[in-house]
Amino acid sequence: MSGSEVLSTLLASEVRGDLLVLFHRNPGLIDTVDGVARRVGRTTIAVISDVRELLQLGVLRQKRIGNSDVVFLDRAKDRELLESVANHLKTVRIGGEK
Amino acid sequence: MMVMAVRARESSSTNLHGNSESVSASLSPDQRFAAEKAFSSVLVSTVREAVGNALGHNVLEILTSKGLLDDASNSREFDRKLQSLFGNGAVVLERIVVKDLSRKLGIRYDSEARLDYEKSLETAKEVCFVGSRLK
Repeated sequence: MSGSEVLSTLLASEVRGDLLVLFHRNPGLIDTVDGVARRVGRTTIAVISDVRELLQLGVLRQKRIGNSDVVFLDRAKDRELLESVANHLKTVRIGGEK
Repeated sequence: MMVMAVRARESSSTNLHGNSESVSASLSPDQRFAAEKAFSSVLVSTVREAVGNALGHNVLEILTSKGLLDDASNSREFDRKLQSLFGNGAVVLERIVVKDLSRKLGIRYDSEARLDYEKSLETAKEVCFVGSRLK
Protein backbone atom coordinates (compact mmCIF):
# COMPACT_ATOMS: atom_id res chain seq x y z
CA MET A 1 0.00 0.00 0.00
CA SER A 2 1.43 3.39 -0.98
CA GLY A 3 1.88 6.31 1.42
CA SER A 4 -0.91 8.11 -0.36
CA GLU A 5 -3.28 5.16 0.14
CA VAL A 6 -2.28 4.83 3.79
CA LEU A 7 -3.02 8.53 4.28
CA SER A 8 -6.43 8.23 2.63
CA THR A 9 -7.27 5.22 4.79
CA LEU A 10 -6.16 6.93 8.00
CA LEU A 11 -8.17 10.08 7.31
CA ALA A 12 -11.20 8.41 5.76
CA SER A 13 -13.61 9.50 8.48
CA GLU A 14 -13.94 11.73 11.52
CA VAL A 15 -14.19 8.68 13.77
CA ARG A 16 -10.93 7.34 12.38
CA GLY A 17 -9.31 10.70 13.07
CA ASP A 18 -10.56 10.56 16.66
CA LEU A 19 -9.24 7.01 17.07
CA LEU A 20 -5.81 8.00 15.75
CA VAL A 21 -5.63 10.95 18.14
CA LEU A 22 -6.76 8.76 21.06
CA PHE A 23 -4.15 6.05 20.46
CA HIS A 24 -1.34 8.46 19.60
CA ARG A 25 -1.99 10.45 22.77
CA ASN A 26 -2.21 7.23 24.77
CA PRO A 27 0.11 4.77 23.00
CA GLY A 28 -0.09 2.25 25.84
CA LEU A 29 -3.88 2.14 25.85
CA ILE A 30 -5.47 -1.31 25.86
CA ASP A 31 -9.25 -1.39 25.91
CA THR A 32 -12.33 -3.08 24.53
CA VAL A 33 -14.07 -1.57 21.51
CA ASP A 34 -16.85 -0.45 23.88
CA GLY A 35 -14.30 1.31 26.06
CA VAL A 36 -12.58 2.92 23.09
CA ALA A 37 -15.95 4.14 21.81
CA ARG A 38 -16.70 5.76 25.18
CA ARG A 39 -13.30 7.42 25.24
CA VAL A 40 -14.00 9.17 21.94
CA GLY A 41 -17.55 10.02 23.01
CA ARG A 42 -19.33 7.70 20.60
CA THR A 43 -21.26 4.46 20.55
CA THR A 44 -19.75 1.07 19.73
CA ILE A 45 -21.84 0.89 16.58
CA ALA A 46 -20.45 4.24 15.45
CA VAL A 47 -16.82 3.18 15.79
CA ILE A 48 -16.80 -0.53 14.97
CA SER A 49 -16.24 -0.27 11.21
CA ASP A 50 -13.41 2.25 11.67
CA VAL A 51 -11.76 0.07 14.32
CA ARG A 52 -11.95 -2.83 11.86
CA GLU A 53 -10.33 -0.73 9.13
CA LEU A 54 -7.49 0.24 11.48
CA LEU A 55 -7.09 -3.43 12.49
CA GLN A 56 -6.93 -4.40 8.85
CA LEU A 57 -4.38 -1.66 8.13
CA GLY A 58 -2.33 -2.92 11.08
CA VAL A 59 -2.30 0.29 13.12
CA LEU A 60 -4.36 -1.50 15.77
CA ARG A 61 -4.10 -5.06 16.95
CA GLN A 62 -6.54 -7.20 18.86
CA LYS A 63 -6.03 -9.80 21.53
CA ARG A 64 -8.07 -11.62 24.13
CA ILE A 65 -7.64 -10.84 27.81
CA GLY A 66 -9.84 -13.02 30.01
CA ASN A 67 -13.29 -12.86 28.50
CA SER A 68 -12.69 -9.64 26.65
CA ASP A 69 -11.36 -8.81 23.22
CA VAL A 70 -9.20 -5.74 23.49
CA VAL A 71 -7.54 -3.50 20.94
CA PHE A 72 -4.27 -1.62 21.21
CA LEU A 73 -1.82 0.36 19.10
CA ASP A 74 0.84 -1.62 17.23
CA ARG A 75 3.56 0.98 17.72
CA ALA A 76 6.02 -0.55 15.26
CA LYS A 77 3.45 -0.86 12.48
CA ASP A 78 2.07 2.59 13.25
CA ARG A 79 5.58 4.08 12.97
CA GLU A 80 6.14 2.23 9.69
CA LEU A 81 2.86 3.44 8.20
CA LEU A 82 3.38 7.04 9.31
CA GLU A 83 6.86 6.91 7.82
CA SER A 84 5.35 5.96 4.46
CA VAL A 85 2.90 8.87 4.83
CA ALA A 86 5.78 11.22 5.64
CA ASN A 87 7.73 10.03 2.59
CA HIS A 88 4.67 10.56 0.42
CA LEU A 89 4.13 14.07 1.77
CA LYS A 90 7.77 14.97 1.09
CA THR A 91 6.95 14.65 -2.61
CA VAL A 92 3.78 16.72 -2.49
CA ARG A 93 3.97 20.46 -2.85
CA ILE A 94 1.44 22.57 -1.01
CA GLY A 95 -0.83 23.93 -3.70
CA GLY A 96 -1.17 20.59 -5.48
CA GLU A 97 1.94 20.40 -7.66
CA LYS A 98 4.22 17.36 -7.46
CA MET B 1 -19.22 42.48 30.14
CA MET B 2 -19.26 39.06 31.77
CA VAL B 3 -22.70 38.60 30.30
CA MET B 4 -21.31 39.11 26.81
CA ALA B 5 -18.61 36.51 27.37
CA VAL B 6 -21.15 34.03 28.64
CA ARG B 7 -23.43 34.75 25.70
CA ALA B 8 -20.62 34.22 23.24
CA ARG B 9 -19.85 30.89 24.82
CA GLU B 10 -23.47 29.79 25.03
CA SER B 11 -24.21 30.55 21.44
CA SER B 12 -20.96 29.13 20.17
CA SER B 13 -21.10 25.90 18.26
CA THR B 14 -19.24 24.51 15.32
CA ASN B 15 -21.46 26.43 12.99
CA LEU B 16 -22.08 29.59 14.91
CA HIS B 17 -22.24 32.46 12.48
CA GLY B 18 -20.22 34.67 14.73
CA ASN B 19 -18.75 37.92 13.54
CA SER B 20 -15.57 39.08 15.20
CA GLU B 21 -15.82 42.44 13.44
CA SER B 22 -18.43 43.74 15.90
CA VAL B 23 -16.38 42.78 18.94
CA SER B 24 -13.01 43.74 17.50
CA ALA B 25 -14.32 47.18 16.46
CA SER B 26 -14.78 48.07 20.11
CA LEU B 27 -11.21 47.14 21.01
CA SER B 28 -8.39 49.65 21.12
CA PRO B 29 -5.65 49.06 18.52
CA ASP B 30 -3.38 47.64 21.23
CA GLN B 31 -6.10 45.33 22.55
CA ARG B 32 -6.94 44.24 19.04
CA PHE B 33 -3.30 43.51 18.21
CA ALA B 34 -2.90 41.54 21.45
CA ALA B 35 -6.13 39.62 20.82
CA GLU B 36 -5.13 38.77 17.22
CA LYS B 37 -1.74 37.63 18.43
CA ALA B 38 -3.21 35.54 21.25
CA PHE B 39 -5.69 33.90 18.91
CA SER B 40 -3.06 33.17 16.29
CA SER B 41 -0.83 31.61 18.93
CA VAL B 42 -3.61 29.37 20.28
CA LEU B 43 -4.61 28.37 16.76
CA VAL B 44 -1.10 27.48 15.61
CA SER B 45 -0.41 25.41 18.72
CA THR B 46 -3.77 23.65 18.26
CA VAL B 47 -3.06 22.87 14.62
CA ARG B 48 0.38 21.53 15.57
CA GLU B 49 -1.13 19.30 18.25
CA ALA B 50 -3.93 18.12 15.96
CA VAL B 51 -1.66 17.17 13.06
CA GLY B 52 0.99 15.74 15.40
CA ASN B 53 -1.51 13.64 17.31
CA ALA B 54 -3.26 12.37 14.20
CA LEU B 55 -0.30 11.73 11.90
CA GLY B 56 2.80 11.87 14.09
CA HIS B 57 5.57 14.36 14.58
CA ASN B 58 7.58 13.44 11.47
CA VAL B 59 4.60 14.36 9.32
CA LEU B 60 4.08 17.54 11.32
CA GLU B 61 7.69 18.62 10.80
CA ILE B 62 7.50 17.92 7.07
CA LEU B 63 4.30 19.93 6.74
CA THR B 64 5.76 22.75 8.83
CA SER B 65 8.83 22.90 6.60
CA LYS B 66 6.51 23.10 3.60
CA GLY B 67 4.80 26.14 5.09
CA LEU B 68 1.51 24.62 6.26
CA LEU B 69 1.55 26.74 9.40
CA ASP B 70 2.64 29.98 7.74
CA ASP B 71 -0.29 32.31 8.18
CA ALA B 72 -2.35 29.56 9.85
CA SER B 73 -4.82 32.11 11.17
CA ASN B 74 -5.90 32.78 7.57
CA SER B 75 -8.52 30.02 7.60
CA ARG B 76 -9.21 30.15 3.86
CA GLU B 77 -5.54 29.80 2.98
CA PHE B 78 -5.02 27.04 5.56
CA ASP B 79 -8.06 25.19 4.21
CA ARG B 80 -6.67 25.46 0.66
CA LYS B 81 -3.29 24.08 1.77
CA LEU B 82 -4.91 21.19 3.65
CA GLN B 83 -7.11 20.35 0.67
CA SER B 84 -4.10 20.26 -1.64
CA LEU B 85 -2.26 17.91 0.73
CA PHE B 86 -5.02 15.69 2.06
CA GLY B 87 -7.98 15.96 -0.29
CA ASN B 88 -11.05 14.61 1.50
CA GLY B 89 -8.94 13.96 4.60
CA ALA B 90 -8.56 17.70 5.13
CA VAL B 91 -11.99 17.95 6.74
CA VAL B 92 -11.04 15.26 9.28
CA LEU B 93 -8.00 17.28 10.36
CA GLU B 94 -10.05 20.48 10.43
CA ARG B 95 -12.60 18.82 12.71
CA ILE B 96 -9.82 17.74 15.06
CA VAL B 97 -8.51 21.31 15.09
CA VAL B 98 -11.94 22.82 15.73
CA LYS B 99 -12.75 20.28 18.44
CA ASP B 100 -9.46 20.95 20.27
CA LEU B 101 -9.80 24.70 19.83
CA SER B 102 -13.36 24.59 21.19
CA ARG B 103 -12.18 22.62 24.21
CA LYS B 104 -9.36 25.10 24.90
CA LEU B 105 -11.64 28.14 24.62
CA GLY B 106 -14.62 26.60 26.41
CA ILE B 107 -16.85 26.65 23.34
CA ARG B 108 -19.51 23.98 22.92
CA TYR B 109 -18.63 21.63 20.05
CA ASP B 110 -21.36 19.87 18.11
CA SER B 111 -19.92 16.85 16.30
CA GLU B 112 -23.22 16.28 14.48
CA ALA B 113 -23.22 19.66 12.79
CA ARG B 114 -21.72 20.13 9.35
CA LEU B 115 -18.27 21.63 9.67
CA ASP B 116 -17.70 25.13 8.41
CA TYR B 117 -14.04 25.63 9.24
CA GLU B 118 -13.94 29.32 8.44
CA LYS B 119 -17.01 30.15 10.53
CA SER B 120 -15.80 27.97 13.38
CA LEU B 121 -12.56 29.95 13.49
CA GLU B 122 -14.51 33.21 13.41
CA THR B 123 -16.45 32.00 16.44
CA ALA B 124 -13.27 31.03 18.27
CA LYS B 125 -11.70 34.39 17.40
CA GLU B 126 -14.77 36.21 18.72
CA VAL B 127 -14.48 34.37 22.04
CA CYS B 128 -10.80 35.36 22.20
CA PHE B 129 -11.69 38.98 21.47
CA VAL B 130 -14.44 39.06 24.08
CA GLY B 131 -12.01 37.54 26.57
CA SER B 132 -9.43 40.23 25.83
CA ARG B 133 -12.01 43.00 26.24
CA LEU B 134 -12.82 41.70 29.70
CA LYS B 135 -9.19 42.05 30.75
